[in-house]
Amino acid sequence: MSEFFHQYFDFNYMGEHFWEVLEAFLQNLVIFAVVAVLALSWGLLLALLRQLPGKKFVPVRFVTIAYIDLFRAIPILIVILLISGGIPFLEFIPKDIRIPHWFGKPDPFWYGVAALMLVYGAFTAEVYRAGIEAVPRGQMEAARSLGMSHWQAMRHVVVPQAVTLIPAPMLNELISLLKDTTLVSVIAFAESVLISRELLAQSFNSSAMILTAFFFILIILPMARVVDKLIARQQGKIARGSHIEVA
Amino acid sequence: MADPMLKLVGVHKRYGALEVLKGVDLDVAKGEVVCILGPSGSGKSTLLRCVNLLEPPEEGEIFLEGQDICRGPGSGTGEQSWNLDFVRQRVGMVFQQFNLFPHKSALENVTMAPEKVLGRSKAEAREKATALLERVGLGDKLGQYPERLSGGQQQRVAIARALAMEPHVMLFDEVTSALDPELVKEVLDTMRELASEGMTMLVVTHEMGFAKEVGDQVVFMDGGVIVEQGKPVDVLDHPTQERTKKFLGLVLER
Repeated sequence: MSEFFHQYFDFNYMGEHFWEVLEAFLQNLVIFAVVAVLALSWGLLLALLRQLPGKKFVPVRFVTIAYIDLFRAIPILIVILLISGGIPFLEFIPKDIRIPHWFGKPDPFWYGVAALMLVYGAFTAEVYRAGIEAVPRGQMEAARSLGMSHWQAMRHVVVPQAVTLIPAPMLNELISLLKDTTLVSVIAFAESVLISRELLAQSFNSSAMILTAFFFILIILPMARVVDKLIARQQGKIARGSHIEVA
Repeated sequence: MADPMLKLVGVHKRYGALEVLKGVDLDVAKGEVVCILGPSGSGKSTLLRCVNLLEPPEEGEIFLEGQDICRGPGSGTGEQSWNLDFVRQRVGMVFQQFNLFPHKSALENVTMAPEKVLGRSKAEAREKATALLERVGLGDKLGQYPERLSGGQQQRVAIARALAMEPHVMLFDEVTSALDPELVKEVLDTMRELASEGMTMLVVTHEMGFAKEVGDQVVFMDGGVIVEQGKPVDVLDHPTQERTKKFLGLVLER
Protein backbone atom coordinates (compact mmCIF):
# COMPACT_ATOMS: atom_id res chain seq x y z
CA MET A 1 0.00 0.00 0.00
CA SER A 2 2.74 2.42 0.85
CA GLU A 3 4.29 1.63 -2.50
CA PHE A 4 1.09 2.73 -4.16
CA PHE A 5 1.11 6.02 -2.26
CA HIS A 6 4.73 6.52 -3.02
CA GLN A 7 4.06 5.97 -6.71
CA TYR A 8 1.10 8.34 -7.00
CA PHE A 9 0.96 10.59 -3.96
CA ASP A 10 4.57 11.37 -3.11
CA PHE A 11 4.09 14.86 -1.70
CA ASN A 12 7.80 15.49 -1.46
CA TYR A 13 8.10 14.71 -5.13
CA MET A 14 5.16 16.99 -5.90
CA GLY A 15 6.79 19.75 -3.89
CA GLU A 16 10.05 19.40 -5.75
CA HIS A 17 8.37 19.64 -9.15
CA PHE A 18 5.51 21.94 -8.20
CA TRP A 19 6.65 25.01 -10.13
CA GLU A 20 7.68 23.02 -13.15
CA VAL A 21 4.25 21.39 -13.40
CA LEU A 22 2.42 24.62 -12.64
CA GLU A 23 4.30 26.43 -15.37
CA ALA A 24 3.36 23.68 -17.81
CA PHE A 25 -0.25 23.86 -16.65
CA LEU A 26 -0.23 27.60 -17.39
CA GLN A 27 0.51 26.62 -21.00
CA ASN A 28 -2.76 24.66 -20.97
CA LEU A 29 -4.52 27.78 -19.74
CA VAL A 30 -2.93 29.86 -22.50
CA ILE A 31 -4.08 27.39 -25.18
CA PHE A 32 -7.50 27.39 -23.56
CA ALA A 33 -7.80 31.18 -23.54
CA VAL A 34 -6.71 31.59 -27.14
CA VAL A 35 -8.93 28.78 -28.42
CA ALA A 36 -11.91 29.93 -26.35
CA VAL A 37 -11.87 33.37 -27.99
CA LEU A 38 -11.36 31.93 -31.48
CA ALA A 39 -13.86 29.06 -31.16
CA LEU A 40 -16.60 31.24 -29.64
CA SER A 41 -16.27 33.65 -32.59
CA TRP A 42 -15.90 30.96 -35.24
CA GLY A 43 -18.86 29.03 -33.79
CA LEU A 44 -21.07 32.14 -33.85
CA LEU A 45 -20.15 32.78 -37.47
CA LEU A 46 -20.97 29.15 -38.36
CA ALA A 47 -24.30 29.35 -36.53
CA LEU A 48 -25.20 32.55 -38.39
CA LEU A 49 -24.25 31.05 -41.76
CA ARG A 50 -26.40 28.05 -40.95
CA GLN A 51 -29.41 30.31 -40.30
CA LEU A 52 -29.25 32.30 -43.56
CA PRO A 53 -32.73 32.27 -45.12
CA GLY A 54 -33.94 31.61 -48.63
CA LYS A 55 -33.09 29.40 -51.57
CA LYS A 56 -29.98 31.23 -52.68
CA PHE A 57 -28.16 30.33 -49.47
CA VAL A 58 -28.80 26.57 -49.77
CA PRO A 59 -25.12 25.90 -50.74
CA VAL A 60 -23.85 27.97 -47.80
CA ARG A 61 -26.12 26.14 -45.38
CA PHE A 62 -25.13 22.77 -46.84
CA VAL A 63 -21.39 23.43 -46.53
CA THR A 64 -21.83 24.80 -42.99
CA ILE A 65 -23.86 21.80 -41.82
CA ALA A 66 -21.38 19.40 -43.44
CA TYR A 67 -18.50 21.16 -41.68
CA ILE A 68 -20.24 21.07 -38.30
CA ASP A 69 -21.18 17.39 -38.64
CA LEU A 70 -17.71 16.40 -39.83
CA PHE A 71 -15.74 18.14 -37.11
CA ARG A 72 -18.03 16.86 -34.39
CA ALA A 73 -17.50 13.33 -35.68
CA ILE A 74 -13.70 13.20 -36.13
CA PRO A 75 -11.71 12.47 -32.94
CA ILE A 76 -9.83 15.63 -31.92
CA LEU A 77 -6.59 13.67 -31.68
CA ILE A 78 -6.82 12.83 -35.38
CA VAL A 79 -7.46 16.49 -36.28
CA ILE A 80 -4.40 17.53 -34.25
CA LEU A 81 -2.20 14.89 -35.86
CA LEU A 82 -3.41 15.62 -39.38
CA ILE A 83 -2.84 19.36 -39.02
CA SER A 84 0.59 19.11 -37.46
CA GLY A 85 1.59 16.38 -39.90
CA GLY A 86 0.12 17.98 -42.99
CA ILE A 87 0.20 21.78 -42.90
CA PRO A 88 4.02 22.13 -42.62
CA PHE A 89 4.41 20.34 -45.95
CA LEU A 90 1.91 22.38 -47.96
CA GLU A 91 4.54 24.37 -49.75
CA PHE A 92 2.20 26.73 -51.56
CA ILE A 93 1.46 28.29 -48.15
CA PRO A 94 4.04 30.93 -47.06
CA LYS A 95 6.48 29.52 -44.54
CA ASP A 96 5.48 31.97 -41.79
CA ILE A 97 1.98 30.58 -41.92
CA ARG A 98 2.56 26.87 -42.36
CA ILE A 99 5.28 26.82 -39.67
CA PRO A 100 4.10 29.64 -37.39
CA HIS A 101 6.10 31.00 -34.48
CA TRP A 102 3.81 33.90 -33.61
CA PHE A 103 3.99 35.67 -30.23
CA GLY A 104 6.97 33.57 -29.19
CA LYS A 105 4.97 30.32 -29.29
CA PRO A 106 6.33 27.29 -31.17
CA ASP A 107 4.53 25.76 -34.14
CA PRO A 108 2.99 22.80 -32.21
CA PHE A 109 1.20 25.37 -30.03
CA TRP A 110 -0.43 26.90 -33.12
CA TYR A 111 -1.28 23.53 -34.69
CA GLY A 112 -2.99 22.58 -31.45
CA VAL A 113 -4.84 25.91 -31.33
CA ALA A 114 -5.96 25.50 -34.95
CA ALA A 115 -7.20 21.93 -34.43
CA LEU A 116 -9.07 22.75 -31.22
CA MET A 117 -10.60 25.85 -32.80
CA LEU A 118 -11.84 23.91 -35.82
CA VAL A 119 -13.43 21.24 -33.62
CA TYR A 120 -14.77 23.46 -30.85
CA GLY A 121 -16.09 25.95 -33.41
CA ALA A 122 -18.37 23.14 -34.60
CA PHE A 123 -19.50 22.30 -31.07
CA THR A 124 -20.13 25.91 -30.01
CA ALA A 125 -21.98 26.51 -33.31
CA GLU A 126 -24.51 23.91 -32.19
CA VAL A 127 -24.90 25.61 -28.81
CA TYR A 128 -25.46 29.00 -30.47
CA ARG A 129 -27.94 27.35 -32.81
CA ALA A 130 -29.93 26.01 -29.86
CA GLY A 131 -30.05 29.54 -28.44
CA ILE A 132 -31.04 31.15 -31.73
CA GLU A 133 -33.79 28.60 -32.32
CA ALA A 134 -35.13 29.15 -28.80
CA VAL A 135 -35.85 32.82 -29.53
CA PRO A 136 -39.52 33.04 -30.58
CA ARG A 137 -40.09 33.39 -34.35
CA GLY A 138 -42.14 36.52 -33.75
CA GLN A 139 -38.98 38.39 -32.78
CA MET A 140 -37.46 37.93 -36.23
CA GLU A 141 -40.80 38.74 -37.86
CA ALA A 142 -41.26 41.93 -35.86
CA ALA A 143 -37.72 43.05 -36.69
CA ARG A 144 -38.18 42.27 -40.38
CA SER A 145 -41.55 44.00 -40.47
CA LEU A 146 -39.79 47.13 -39.17
CA GLY A 147 -37.55 47.10 -42.23
CA MET A 148 -34.47 45.49 -40.67
CA SER A 149 -32.49 43.12 -42.86
CA HIS A 150 -32.06 39.49 -41.80
CA TRP A 151 -28.54 40.38 -40.67
CA GLN A 152 -29.65 43.46 -38.68
CA ALA A 153 -32.42 41.45 -37.03
CA MET A 154 -29.94 38.74 -36.05
CA ARG A 155 -27.42 41.26 -34.78
CA HIS A 156 -29.72 43.52 -32.77
CA VAL A 157 -32.67 41.31 -31.85
CA VAL A 158 -32.13 37.54 -32.06
CA VAL A 159 -28.49 36.95 -31.07
CA PRO A 160 -28.56 39.26 -27.98
CA GLN A 161 -31.48 37.20 -26.69
CA ALA A 162 -30.02 33.86 -27.80
CA VAL A 163 -26.78 34.30 -25.87
CA THR A 164 -28.63 34.87 -22.61
CA LEU A 165 -30.20 31.42 -23.00
CA ILE A 166 -27.01 29.40 -23.44
CA PRO A 167 -24.35 30.26 -20.83
CA ALA A 168 -24.72 26.86 -19.09
CA PRO A 169 -24.21 24.61 -22.15
CA MET A 170 -21.51 26.96 -23.42
CA LEU A 171 -19.62 26.70 -20.13
CA ASN A 172 -19.83 22.92 -20.42
CA GLU A 173 -18.15 23.15 -23.81
CA LEU A 174 -15.43 25.34 -22.28
CA ILE A 175 -14.82 22.84 -19.48
CA SER A 176 -14.41 20.13 -22.03
CA LEU A 177 -12.09 22.37 -24.09
CA LEU A 178 -9.87 23.04 -21.08
CA LYS A 179 -9.36 19.31 -20.57
CA ASP A 180 -8.78 18.68 -24.26
CA THR A 181 -5.88 21.15 -24.32
CA THR A 182 -3.83 18.23 -22.91
CA LEU A 183 -4.17 16.47 -26.28
CA VAL A 184 -1.65 18.92 -27.72
CA SER A 185 0.96 16.94 -25.78
CA VAL A 186 0.96 14.36 -28.60
CA ILE A 187 2.65 16.84 -30.94
CA ALA A 188 5.36 17.62 -28.40
CA PHE A 189 4.09 20.88 -27.02
CA ALA A 190 5.35 21.24 -23.46
CA GLU A 191 2.08 21.46 -21.57
CA SER A 192 1.31 19.78 -18.26
CA VAL A 193 0.63 16.22 -19.41
CA LEU A 194 3.77 16.13 -21.54
CA ILE A 195 5.85 17.42 -18.64
CA SER A 196 4.27 14.90 -16.28
CA ARG A 197 5.06 12.06 -18.65
CA GLU A 198 8.65 13.24 -18.98
CA LEU A 199 8.96 13.29 -15.20
CA LEU A 200 7.45 9.82 -15.05
CA ALA A 201 9.99 8.58 -17.59
CA GLN A 202 12.86 10.12 -15.62
CA SER A 203 11.90 9.05 -12.11
CA PHE A 204 9.32 6.28 -12.57
CA ASN A 205 7.07 8.29 -10.27
CA SER A 206 3.50 9.25 -11.28
CA SER A 207 2.90 11.94 -8.65
CA ALA A 208 3.41 14.77 -11.16
CA MET A 209 0.47 13.40 -13.13
CA ILE A 210 -1.68 13.50 -10.00
CA LEU A 211 -0.52 17.05 -9.35
CA THR A 212 -1.57 17.99 -12.90
CA ALA A 213 -4.96 16.38 -12.37
CA PHE A 214 -5.28 18.38 -9.18
CA PHE A 215 -4.69 21.65 -11.05
CA PHE A 216 -7.46 20.80 -13.50
CA ILE A 217 -9.84 19.92 -10.68
CA LEU A 218 -9.04 23.20 -8.98
CA ILE A 219 -10.09 25.22 -12.02
CA ILE A 220 -12.93 23.05 -13.29
CA LEU A 221 -14.90 22.32 -10.11
CA PRO A 222 -15.86 25.99 -9.61
CA MET A 223 -16.82 26.17 -13.30
CA ALA A 224 -19.04 23.13 -12.84
CA ARG A 225 -20.74 24.79 -9.85
CA VAL A 226 -21.36 27.90 -11.95
CA VAL A 227 -23.00 25.69 -14.58
CA ASP A 228 -25.28 24.22 -11.89
CA LYS A 229 -26.22 27.71 -10.71
CA LEU A 230 -26.96 28.87 -14.24
CA ILE A 231 -29.12 25.84 -14.93
CA ALA A 232 -31.01 26.33 -11.67
CA ARG A 233 -31.59 29.99 -12.55
CA GLN A 234 -32.77 29.09 -16.04
CA GLN A 235 -35.17 26.48 -14.69
CA GLY A 236 -36.43 28.97 -12.13
CA LYS A 237 -37.19 31.34 -14.97
CA ILE A 238 -38.98 28.64 -16.92
CA ALA A 239 -41.00 27.68 -13.86
CA ARG A 240 -42.05 31.30 -13.41
CA GLY A 241 -42.74 31.55 -17.12
CA SER A 242 -40.81 34.78 -17.56
CA HIS A 243 -38.77 33.44 -20.46
CA ILE A 244 -42.03 33.31 -22.38
CA GLU A 245 -43.44 36.59 -23.54
CA VAL A 246 -46.38 37.51 -21.37
CA ALA A 247 -49.45 36.95 -23.48
CA MET B 1 -59.93 57.90 -59.59
CA ALA B 2 -56.33 57.85 -58.46
CA ASP B 3 -54.56 54.58 -57.77
CA PRO B 4 -55.78 53.01 -54.54
CA MET B 5 -53.29 52.88 -51.69
CA LEU B 6 -53.37 49.13 -51.84
CA LYS B 7 -54.75 46.82 -54.50
CA LEU B 8 -54.76 43.04 -54.35
CA VAL B 9 -55.50 41.06 -57.50
CA GLY B 10 -55.99 37.28 -57.42
CA VAL B 11 -53.63 36.67 -54.50
CA HIS B 12 -52.85 32.99 -53.87
CA LYS B 13 -50.77 31.57 -51.01
CA ARG B 14 -49.92 27.91 -50.63
CA TYR B 15 -48.00 25.92 -48.04
CA GLY B 16 -47.22 22.75 -49.94
CA ALA B 17 -50.55 21.17 -50.82
CA LEU B 18 -52.46 23.46 -48.47
CA GLU B 19 -53.89 26.49 -50.23
CA VAL B 20 -54.53 29.17 -47.63
CA LEU B 21 -55.48 32.02 -49.99
CA LYS B 22 -57.43 31.03 -53.09
CA GLY B 23 -57.55 34.24 -55.06
CA VAL B 24 -58.21 37.39 -53.06
CA ASP B 25 -59.06 40.75 -54.67
CA LEU B 26 -59.23 43.86 -52.54
CA ASP B 27 -59.00 47.63 -53.04
CA VAL B 28 -58.06 49.89 -50.16
CA ALA B 29 -58.26 53.66 -50.64
CA LYS B 30 -55.95 56.10 -48.89
CA GLY B 31 -57.14 56.76 -45.35
CA GLU B 32 -59.57 53.86 -45.42
CA VAL B 33 -59.98 51.44 -42.51
CA VAL B 34 -60.72 47.91 -43.67
CA CYS B 35 -61.75 45.40 -41.02
CA ILE B 36 -61.25 41.75 -41.93
CA LEU B 37 -63.43 39.18 -40.15
CA GLY B 38 -63.66 35.46 -40.44
CA PRO B 39 -63.28 32.15 -38.63
CA SER B 40 -59.80 30.93 -37.70
CA GLY B 41 -58.05 29.33 -40.61
CA SER B 42 -59.91 31.51 -43.11
CA GLY B 43 -56.64 33.08 -44.28
CA LYS B 44 -57.09 36.58 -42.86
CA SER B 45 -53.75 36.68 -41.00
CA THR B 46 -51.99 35.18 -44.01
CA LEU B 47 -53.49 37.96 -46.13
CA LEU B 48 -51.90 40.62 -43.91
CA ARG B 49 -48.58 38.77 -43.95
CA CYS B 50 -48.71 38.69 -47.74
CA VAL B 51 -49.21 42.45 -47.89
CA ASN B 52 -45.88 43.14 -46.14
CA LEU B 53 -44.21 40.15 -47.82
CA LEU B 54 -43.53 38.25 -44.58
CA GLU B 55 -45.18 35.50 -46.66
CA PRO B 56 -44.75 36.36 -50.34
CA PRO B 57 -47.73 35.16 -52.38
CA GLU B 58 -47.18 32.54 -55.09
CA GLU B 59 -49.66 34.00 -57.50
CA GLY B 60 -51.45 37.28 -58.09
CA GLU B 61 -50.37 40.87 -57.71
CA ILE B 62 -50.23 43.34 -54.89
CA PHE B 63 -49.97 47.03 -55.77
CA LEU B 64 -48.79 49.38 -53.06
CA GLU B 65 -49.16 53.02 -54.11
CA GLY B 66 -49.31 51.82 -57.69
CA GLN B 67 -46.13 49.72 -57.51
CA ASP B 68 -46.41 45.98 -58.10
CA ILE B 69 -44.56 44.63 -55.08
CA CYS B 70 -44.71 41.00 -56.23
CA ARG B 71 -43.05 41.62 -59.59
CA GLY B 72 -40.13 43.86 -58.76
CA PRO B 73 -36.52 43.00 -59.52
CA GLY B 74 -35.49 39.83 -57.73
CA SER B 75 -39.03 38.77 -56.87
CA GLY B 76 -40.05 35.18 -56.30
CA THR B 77 -36.95 34.29 -54.32
CA GLY B 78 -38.51 35.04 -50.97
CA GLU B 79 -35.81 37.65 -50.39
CA GLN B 80 -36.62 40.26 -53.00
CA SER B 81 -34.64 43.08 -51.49
CA TRP B 82 -35.89 45.97 -53.61
CA ASN B 83 -39.48 45.08 -52.81
CA LEU B 84 -38.80 44.46 -49.16
CA ASP B 85 -37.26 47.88 -48.64
CA PHE B 86 -40.05 49.56 -50.56
CA VAL B 87 -42.78 47.66 -48.71
CA ARG B 88 -41.45 47.69 -45.20
CA GLN B 89 -40.72 51.39 -45.22
CA ARG B 90 -44.36 51.97 -46.11
CA VAL B 91 -46.18 49.23 -44.23
CA GLY B 92 -46.17 48.84 -40.45
CA MET B 93 -47.42 45.76 -38.65
CA VAL B 94 -48.68 45.03 -35.15
CA PHE B 95 -48.89 41.41 -33.98
CA GLN B 96 -51.24 39.43 -31.76
CA GLN B 97 -48.38 38.51 -29.41
CA PHE B 98 -46.91 42.07 -29.43
CA ASN B 99 -43.41 40.72 -30.21
CA LEU B 100 -41.70 43.53 -28.34
CA PHE B 101 -37.95 43.07 -27.99
CA PRO B 102 -37.69 41.89 -24.34
CA HIS B 103 -34.04 42.94 -23.96
CA LYS B 104 -34.82 46.55 -24.83
CA SER B 105 -36.73 49.24 -22.94
CA ALA B 106 -39.96 50.67 -24.32
CA LEU B 107 -38.05 53.65 -25.70
CA GLU B 108 -35.32 51.48 -27.26
CA ASN B 109 -37.97 49.27 -28.84
CA VAL B 110 -39.25 52.34 -30.66
CA THR B 111 -35.89 53.89 -31.54
CA MET B 112 -34.17 50.75 -32.82
CA ALA B 113 -35.54 50.58 -36.36
CA PRO B 114 -35.32 54.34 -37.10
CA GLU B 115 -31.68 54.27 -35.98
CA LYS B 116 -30.63 51.05 -37.69
CA VAL B 117 -32.80 51.18 -40.81
CA LEU B 118 -33.36 54.88 -41.50
CA GLY B 119 -30.00 55.96 -40.08
CA ARG B 120 -31.54 58.56 -37.75
CA SER B 121 -29.32 60.03 -35.08
CA LYS B 122 -29.82 58.78 -31.56
CA ALA B 123 -31.13 62.15 -30.35
CA GLU B 124 -33.54 62.49 -33.25
CA ALA B 125 -34.85 58.94 -32.82
CA ARG B 126 -35.32 59.43 -29.08
CA GLU B 127 -37.20 62.66 -29.53
CA LYS B 128 -39.58 61.12 -32.05
CA ALA B 129 -40.02 57.94 -29.98
CA THR B 130 -40.76 59.92 -26.85
CA ALA B 131 -43.44 61.89 -28.69
CA LEU B 132 -44.98 58.68 -30.05
CA LEU B 133 -45.00 56.96 -26.68
CA GLU B 134 -46.61 60.03 -25.14
CA ARG B 135 -49.21 59.95 -27.89
CA VAL B 136 -50.16 56.36 -26.99
CA GLY B 137 -50.31 57.37 -23.33
CA LEU B 138 -47.03 55.83 -22.18
CA GLY B 139 -44.93 58.95 -21.64
CA ASP B 140 -44.14 57.76 -18.11
CA LYS B 141 -42.98 54.27 -19.17
CA LEU B 142 -40.07 55.13 -21.47
CA GLY B 143 -37.42 53.26 -19.50
CA GLN B 144 -39.55 50.22 -18.62
CA TYR B 145 -38.77 46.82 -20.02
CA PRO B 146 -41.62 44.89 -21.70
CA GLU B 147 -41.95 42.34 -18.89
CA ARG B 148 -42.84 45.18 -16.51
CA LEU B 149 -45.67 46.41 -18.75
CA SER B 150 -49.23 45.10 -18.97
CA GLY B 151 -50.39 43.47 -22.19
CA GLY B 152 -52.27 46.60 -23.21
CA GLN B 153 -49.25 48.79 -22.55
CA GLN B 154 -47.01 46.40 -24.48
CA GLN B 155 -49.35 46.48 -27.44
CA ARG B 156 -49.39 50.29 -27.40
CA VAL B 157 -45.58 50.29 -27.40
CA ALA B 158 -45.76 47.93 -30.40
CA ILE B 159 -48.06 50.40 -32.19
CA ALA B 160 -45.67 53.28 -31.41
CA ARG B 161 -42.77 51.14 -32.64
CA ALA B 162 -44.49 50.54 -35.98
CA LEU B 163 -45.47 54.23 -36.30
CA ALA B 164 -41.86 55.32 -35.74
CA MET B 165 -41.09 54.10 -39.26
CA GLU B 166 -43.68 56.56 -40.60
CA PRO B 167 -45.71 53.94 -42.46
CA HIS B 168 -48.36 54.79 -45.00
CA VAL B 169 -50.35 51.65 -44.21
CA MET B 170 -50.74 49.87 -40.87
CA LEU B 171 -51.58 46.18 -40.51
CA PHE B 172 -53.17 44.97 -37.27
CA ASP B 173 -53.23 41.19 -36.80
CA GLU B 174 -55.73 40.34 -34.03
CA VAL B 175 -53.98 42.83 -31.80
CA THR B 176 -56.48 42.57 -28.94
CA SER B 177 -56.98 38.78 -28.97
CA ALA B 178 -54.22 38.08 -26.44
CA LEU B 179 -55.32 40.82 -24.05
CA ASP B 180 -57.34 40.60 -20.87
CA PRO B 181 -60.82 42.07 -21.50
CA GLU B 182 -60.23 45.19 -19.42
CA LEU B 183 -57.13 46.07 -21.47
CA VAL B 184 -58.78 45.83 -24.87
CA LYS B 185 -60.27 49.31 -24.80
CA GLU B 186 -57.00 51.20 -24.37
CA VAL B 187 -55.59 49.52 -27.47
CA LEU B 188 -58.76 50.04 -29.52
CA ASP B 189 -58.82 53.72 -28.46
CA THR B 190 -55.28 54.13 -29.77
CA MET B 191 -56.34 52.56 -33.07
CA ARG B 192 -59.46 54.74 -33.24
CA GLU B 193 -57.33 57.83 -32.86
CA LEU B 194 -54.97 56.63 -35.56
CA ALA B 195 -57.91 56.03 -37.90
CA SER B 196 -59.29 59.50 -37.22
CA GLU B 197 -55.94 60.99 -38.22
CA GLY B 198 -56.33 59.42 -41.66
CA MET B 199 -54.07 56.36 -41.41
CA THR B 200 -54.82 53.62 -43.93
CA MET B 201 -55.44 50.49 -41.86
CA LEU B 202 -56.05 46.79 -42.45
CA VAL B 203 -57.43 45.34 -39.26
CA VAL B 204 -57.96 41.63 -38.65
CA THR B 205 -60.22 41.55 -35.62
CA HIS B 206 -63.03 39.87 -33.74
CA GLU B 207 -64.16 43.18 -32.24
CA MET B 208 -67.50 43.71 -34.00
CA GLY B 209 -68.11 47.00 -32.22
CA PHE B 210 -64.82 48.40 -33.47
CA ALA B 211 -65.46 47.15 -37.01
CA LYS B 212 -68.87 48.80 -37.06
CA GLU B 213 -67.76 52.08 -35.56
CA VAL B 214 -64.36 52.63 -37.16
CA GLY B 215 -64.39 50.49 -40.28
CA ASP B 216 -65.07 52.08 -43.65
CA GLN B 217 -65.25 48.66 -45.19
CA VAL B 218 -65.79 45.21 -43.69
CA VAL B 219 -64.48 42.10 -45.40
CA PHE B 220 -65.67 38.64 -44.40
CA MET B 221 -63.29 35.83 -45.31
CA ASP B 222 -63.81 32.08 -45.18
CA GLY B 223 -61.87 29.22 -46.73
CA GLY B 224 -59.25 31.47 -48.30
CA VAL B 225 -61.61 33.72 -50.23
CA ILE B 226 -63.56 36.90 -49.57
CA VAL B 227 -67.15 35.80 -49.11
CA GLU B 228 -68.72 39.19 -48.59
CA GLN B 229 -67.59 42.78 -48.36
CA GLY B 230 -69.14 46.21 -48.05
CA LYS B 231 -70.05 48.91 -45.59
CA PRO B 232 -70.06 47.72 -41.96
CA VAL B 233 -73.80 48.28 -41.53
CA ASP B 234 -74.55 46.18 -44.60
CA VAL B 235 -72.22 43.28 -43.90
CA LEU B 236 -72.71 43.13 -40.14
CA ASP B 237 -76.42 43.91 -39.89
CA HIS B 238 -77.72 42.64 -43.21
CA PRO B 239 -75.40 39.90 -44.42
CA THR B 240 -76.49 38.30 -47.68
CA GLN B 241 -74.29 35.18 -47.62
CA GLU B 242 -75.14 32.10 -45.56
CA ARG B 243 -71.57 31.69 -44.29
CA THR B 244 -71.48 35.30 -43.10
CA LYS B 245 -74.81 34.92 -41.31
CA LYS B 246 -73.66 31.73 -39.61
CA PHE B 247 -70.35 33.26 -38.49
CA LEU B 248 -71.95 36.46 -37.19
CA GLY B 249 -74.58 34.41 -35.41
CA LEU B 250 -71.89 32.44 -33.59
CA VAL B 251 -69.85 35.52 -32.70
CA LEU B 252 -72.75 37.69 -31.54
CA GLU B 253 -74.20 34.86 -29.43
CA ARG B 254 -71.40 35.34 -26.92
